[in-house]
Amino acid sequence: MKNQWTIVLGAIAVGAVLPYVFPGPFPRHVMIMVLVYAILGTAWNILGGYAGQVSLGHAVYFGIGAYTSTMAFIVWRLNPWVGMVLGAVIAASVAILMGYPTFKLRGFYFAIATIALGEMFRILFVNWEWVGGAVGLEPPIIKGDRLMSMQFHLSKVPYYYILFIMFLCVLALVRVIERSKLGYYFRAVKDSHEAALSSGIDTTQVKLVAVAISAFITSMVGTVYAQYLLYIDPYVVFAGSISVKVCLVAILGGEGRLMGPFFGSVVLVLLSEYSRVLFGGTGRGIDLIIYGWLIVFVAAFQPRGILGLLGLKKQYAPEVMRKHA
Amino acid sequence: MKRSLVRLAIMLPVLALVFGLLAVPILGKVDTVKVGVIYPLTGSAAATGKDYIAAYQLAADIVNNKMDLDFPFARTEGIPALGGAMIEIVPADSQGSPEVGRAEAERLISSVKPTALMGCHHSAVTKTASQAAERFGTVFLCPDSTSPALTERGYEWFFRSGPTDTTFIEDTFDFIEDLKKARGLKVETVAIVSEDTEFGKNISVVEEQMAATRGYRVVEKITFQNNSTNVNSEVLRLKRANPDVILMAAYTSDTILFVRTFKEQKYTPPAVIGQRAGFISPEIFTTLGKDADYLFTTNVWAPDLGEKRPIVKRINELYRAKTGKDLTGDYARAFTGAFILVDAINRAGSVNPEAIRKALLATDYPGSQLIVPWAGVRFDQKTHQNTLGRGIITQAIGGVYRTVWPFDLASQEAVWPVPAWDKR
Repeated sequence: MKNQWTIVLGAIAVGAVLPYVFPGPFPRHVMIMVLVYAILGTAWNILGGYAGQVSLGHAVYFGIGAYTSTMAFIVWRLNPWVGMVLGAVIAASVAILMGYPTFKLRGFYFAIATIALGEMFRILFVNWEWVGGAVGLEPPIIKGDRLMSMQFHLSKVPYYYILFIMFLCVLALVRVIERSKLGYYFRAVKDSHEAALSSGIDTTQVKLVAVAISAFITSMVGTVYAQYLLYIDPYVVFAGSISVKVCLVAILGGEGRLMGPFFGSVVLVLLSEYSRVLFGGTGRGIDLIIYGWLIVFVAAFQPRGILGLLGLKKQYAPEVMRKHA
Repeated sequence: MKRSLVRLAIMLPVLALVFGLLAVPILGKVDTVKVGVIYPLTGSAAATGKDYIAAYQLAADIVNNKMDLDFPFARTEGIPALGGAMIEIVPADSQGSPEVGRAEAERLISSVKPTALMGCHHSAVTKTASQAAERFGTVFLCPDSTSPALTERGYEWFFRSGPTDTTFIEDTFDFIEDLKKARGLKVETVAIVSEDTEFGKNISVVEEQMAATRGYRVVEKITFQNNSTNVNSEVLRLKRANPDVILMAAYTSDTILFVRTFKEQKYTPPAVIGQRAGFISPEIFTTLGKDADYLFTTNVWAPDLGEKRPIVKRINELYRAKTGKDLTGDYARAFTGAFILVDAINRAGSVNPEAIRKALLATDYPGSQLIVPWAGVRFDQKTHQNTLGRGIITQAIGGVYRTVWPFDLASQEAVWPVPAWDKR
């Protein structure tokens, strides 16, 4: 037990100094994107990994977060932190509203329905003139680096720390869920829907709680991303590719495990960013070939994800799984 | 024990790779002027991106080598004021994504340390990539993106040598009015058809405003989904509205789909004027064949411009030797942008960013030394938009675009109204 805390504190310390070990905007950008996808993957994992509902439409919540805070900033001059909470509440509400009809569907049908929802939102925003339509939005630039405006022009480091702290909070939350009654409900629904029902679990309600938490976190990342990129349009934040990548990160890393999405994100983001830098200039798509090939490689040889590949299954698997393993 | 050794053997190289990659140093020489060019080199626009790079390479070849060409910097080696320093083009892949475009701009600025950045075809990518340049105080010369919003931001380090959508739409209406005067053509109603990304949306807004101020009646305004699979109802609406001219903004696949649907429904609009994009992609000739005939489009370049100016023909031949294709408006603009930059660096006599910025502001490049039909290049002191850029109008005949406007550059007369499908 003591040993585990040493590892945790050590990892936090390493994470805290990393931006100064690798200075320069590009490595820092890569680290920020690793954290963005680690948080998104962890959020997806709550619904997809623990509760077993494979969603391919998480870009919806990401986009809602990005748009809500940006519009609140433009229209009411509301600072992005308030906008972030507002967006997260809206995203969770949308998730619950959408969840009612879609959770009646199982397996592939549910996944397909979430893809459709994602497309629907993108088209809706493309044609919604009030939020800039296809032209997109640029958050007003606030001169000077201020934490309140969530804009930092001189250095990327503050974005890194915002996301780093968010990531730690999300991990702690998932850890708590994992060990609570709710966590057991999630896994019961995942293992066997019928068995869960027959033991008196309100499965729809459990799934709604899972999707609401998942959407809430996803939307918060959307806000930070919008302030980081300082430009959003429906093709950027409602992209189907975001939904797929989020799901990929969790599955590649090891779905249903606390640290799975983090490892998935490290590997996936580093691979995509650096394969592009090293091989992308040729214009022959070699970077994408290598990237795709490695995903296939990991998936084929180790379906339990990167955590399984590293043999870390026992230590990091939730207690209930340890007993069955 | 054995298993954990195997695991260790897998883990260590992975970790080494991960950290090794983070520390990749990208070193460079000192006697070269590096220009970072950011274009989509993978994804749906990859072919376009590669041709852009070829145009930049051609510009670099002309500057770097002694060539028997009547063109600036051709008869010398390198940039004269910098003691013959060579131009080096450093391509980077934006994948057509604003996020990746900005990351690549930052990476180039911090590791390659380019003298200037250029790009990026997609307006949304240019928007975010130039943000990075602005923050780091690096000159960003955009030769191609046309969204008017780009220069309206009033950035200090951002310059645009190409015309904006607004200029091309003005050209479109000037062309119609000139034709009306010259031939007594009756054009009173227009239909505006545009796709639903930033490109099409911007254009439809400007077209609608300009139609109103110039006294045209908009009888139909259609927005269709980018990459559509069916436009039957759109064409039916156009048929019913029966406009004197259709103004269209569409990418390649949609342009092809519209022309095919026109033919299927036996509807011949008197004239269709496109706004570049799909209309100037070579694919419309390979896919549509003769059906592409008589399409009009705004343009910045056409092969027949070379018939009147030998130098334009020579440059096109050099490009053809490199890629097997003719220049198009996109690549001619990029090639031109490269020379505007080299000219500014040469006048600045240094690679100091502030000196180059001042030199760009003082640019007064004559139209006679350009391969595009502009009056020249002179940047607005506040927005940094080239005020002398303009477009041409071309019409497709037999698989090539020929210039029909302005009349002094035209190699043939505009066919308007166009012959019906069964009379071709």
